[in-house]
Amino acid sequence: MWALFAAPGTLWLVLLFAVPFYAVAAVAFGYTDPVFNAPVPEWDPRYWDFTAFSEILTRSVAGDLRPVFLRTLLYVALALGLCVAIGYPVAYYVSRHAGRHRALLLGLILAPWWVNYLTRMLAWLNLLQDDGYVNDLLLFTRIVDEPVRWLSGNPVTVVLALVYGYIPFFIVPLFSTLDRIDPLLLEAARDLGCSGRGAFWHVTLPLSRPGLLTASAITALPMFGDYYTNTLVSGSPTTTMIANQIEFYLLGGTRKELGASLVLLLSALLMMLMVYYLISNRRAEEEMS
Amino acid sequence: MDRRRFLLVSALAATAACGGERPGRSTGSSAVPLTRTDSPGALPLHDDIPQIADGLSPESGGVLKILNYPEYVSPDVLKAFGKTHGVEVEVTTFNTMEDAISKLRTPGASFDVWFPTPDVIGKAAVGKLLQPLNKTYLGNLANAWPQLQSPFYDEGSRYSVPYCAYTSGVGYRADEVTAGFGYGLLWDPAYKGKAYLIDDHREGLALAMLKNGSREINTEDPAKIRQAGTWLSELVPLMNIKTGIAAYQLVAEGQATVHHCWSGDMINAQSYLPKGVDADVLGYWYPSDDLGVVGTDSLAVPASATKPVLAHLLLNHLLDPAVAQENFSFTGYQPALSAITPEKMVTDEFVTEALKSAIVTPDVYARSRQIFQISPAAEAVWLDTWSRFKAGQ
Repeated sequence: MWALFAAPGTLWLVLLFAVPFYAVAAVAFGYTDPVFNAPVPEWDPRYWDFTAFSEILTRSVAGDLRPVFLRTLLYVALALGLCVAIGYPVAYYVSRHAGRHRALLLGLILAPWWVNYLTRMLAWLNLLQDDGYVNDLLLFTRIVDEPVRWLSGNPVTVVLALVYGYIPFFIVPLFSTLDRIDPLLLEAARDLGCSGRGAFWHVTLPLSRPGLLTASAITALPMFGDYYTNTLVSGSPTTTMIANQIEFYLLGGTRKELGASLVLLLSALLMMLMVYYLISNRRAEEEMS
Repeated sequence: MDRRRFLLVSALAATAACGGERPGRSTGSSAVPLTRTDSPGALPLHDDIPQIADGLSPESGGVLKILNYPEYVSPDVLKAFGKTHGVEVEVTTFNTMEDAISKLRTPGASFDVWFPTPDVIGKAAVGKLLQPLNKTYLGNLANAWPQLQSPFYDEGSRYSVPYCAYTSGVGYRADEVTAGFGYGLLWDPAYKGKAYLIDDHREGLALAMLKNGSREINTEDPAKIRQAGTWLSELVPLMNIKTGIAAYQLVAEGQATVHHCWSGDMINAQSYLPKGVDADVLGYWYPSDDLGVVGTDSLAVPASATKPVLAHLLLNHLLDPAVAQENFSFTGYQPALSAITPEKMVTDEFVTEALKSAIVTPDVYARSRQIFQISPAAEAVWLDTWSRFKAGQ
C-alpha cells in the first residue's frame, strides 16, 4: 500500500529522466541519415555504434576537450568556493541573528530572481561595458587605472556570473539546515567551555555539513550544464566550458552524435560527484546521530 | 603522452570497433549531388510529387504557414499579402537549417513557404521535402539577377527562386578604424578584445583561408582545413577573439570595433545605433578581388504545402521590386533583384555612402567565392576543426 505512494515519483523519473536519457544514448550511439545528415537514433542496443562516444572519450582524456573539462572543473570549483564564502555567512546570519526580519531578508535575497534571468544578465552586460558604471566607479575610486575589460573573454567575469546566477540556490537550502540546528546544543557547548568561535567550529559547522553538501550539489550540478551565462558574458574560446561544446554540437552542425556523447560523458562525471555527495551525506548523518 | 594515458586512449579507441552494423548507414559520401558554379546540376523530380497545374485559383481562408529565420521577412508585407488573399499568415521560425529540416520532416507538419539556403535545397529535393515550382505563376523571376534565374544549385529553378544576397566581410567602427582595411583588421592587436568572428564553422575557417590567400574554401582535404584552424587559432591569444552573430548590435553599440559579419548586419546596424550617434560611424569592408565570400538565400514550396497556389503567389510577390524593397527596409538583407543597385540604395537613403559596399551586385556575385555543400565526411572535419578553435585550442 505505502509503496503505491512512490508510484507518481517513479513515473515522473521514468518519463522525465530515464526516457530522455535513453533517447540521448540512442542519438549518441545511433547513425546519420545519408540524405539529410541528420542524426537517426538507434533504439536497439544490439546495433549501437560506439564510434562517436569513443572519439569524445579519447578527446576528453588526451585531446582538445581535456583542457575544456579542466577549465570547467576549475570555474565551477571557484564559483562554488565563492558561493560558500559569500553564502554561508549570509545563511548563518539570517538563520541565527536576523530575528523577526529573517523572512524579509530571505525575500530580499531572492528579490533579484523575481526578474527574468536574461533581463538581469543584459542589465549586467550594460553595467560591465568598458565605459559602463562599474568601470566608472572603479576609475573614480582609483582602484584601477584603466577600464577593466570585463566582457572581453575575462574568466573572472564568467566565474562571478556563475556565482551571481546560482547563489540563491546555495543560500536557501543552507539556511534551512542552519535554521534547524537546536540552539540548546550551542548553549551546551558554551556551558562546557567552548568559546563562540569554538562552538561554531565544533557544533554549528559539523551539523550544517549535510546542508552544505546539498547546497553545493544543487549549485554545482546546473553550473556544469550552464552554457548561456558564459555565452552572454564572454563568448571567447579562452573561456569555453564543456556545456558550450555540447551546445555547439547539438544546436548547430551535423555531428549531433558527438554532442549527445558529451552529454553522456558529463552525466557520468556528475553521477560520480552525486555518489560522492550521497556517501558524504550519509556519513555526516551517521556522525550526527 | 605517458604510458598509462596511452593505454587508456588505446582502450577507448578499441571500443569504436564494438557494436553491430545496421545496413544503410552513412558511409561519409554524399547521397545528394554536390553542385558547383562550374558544374551546375538539375535536381531530381519525383513522380509522386507533381508540380501544381497551370491557371489554378489561389486558396483562400485559413492559415498560410511560413517557415523562416526570425525577423527575415517583413510582417507588414506578409500581413498585406494575407489581407489581399483572405488568409492569415503564420510564421514558424528556426535558427539553423538542421532545425528547419527537422521541422519539415516532422510527421503531420505542413508548411506552405520555406526560406532555405542553397546548400540544403539539394537535400530537401532528394529527400522529397519540396515540390517542383510551376513557373507560370512566377513571372517576377525575371526580375532576379540573371545568374540566379537558373542557379547552379538548382538548374532551371525547379524547386527554388532567389530571395536575398549578402557578402561576408568586415564591419567596423569608422570612428576608430581609419587604416589597414582588409581581413587583417581582425588580426590587428589594436582591436584586441573588441574583435569578433561570425559564429559559423564554414564562414570562420573560410575567412582564415582567404586572409592567407587560399581560395579553396570548399576543400575536402583535412590538412588544408586543419591549416585554416591553425591560422584561426592565432586569433585566440593575439586578439582574445570572440564569436557571435550580432554584429548589427555590437558594432552599433561600440562593443565590437571590428566584426567579421554579413553585409546585411551592417545595413541593419543603422537601426541599432544609440540615440544621437550618426550612421557614419559604421563601415563595411569587402575585397575588390575574388577573395570574398558571397551567399544567397532562397524561397521554396514544401511538398507538405496545403496552399501551394497561394505559396507560389507569395514567392512571386516577394520578387516584385517594390515589395522586395519594402521587405529590405525591414530585414536589412538585400533582395537579389536587378532593380536594387548600390546607387539607388544610397539615393533612397537605405544606406549611407560608407555602407554602399554592403550592397551586393551581380558583378560582385560573379567574381566572389561561395560556400558550397560538401560531403558529410569533409563536413565533419570542418566542424571538428572549428570546435577545436572554439575550445581555445
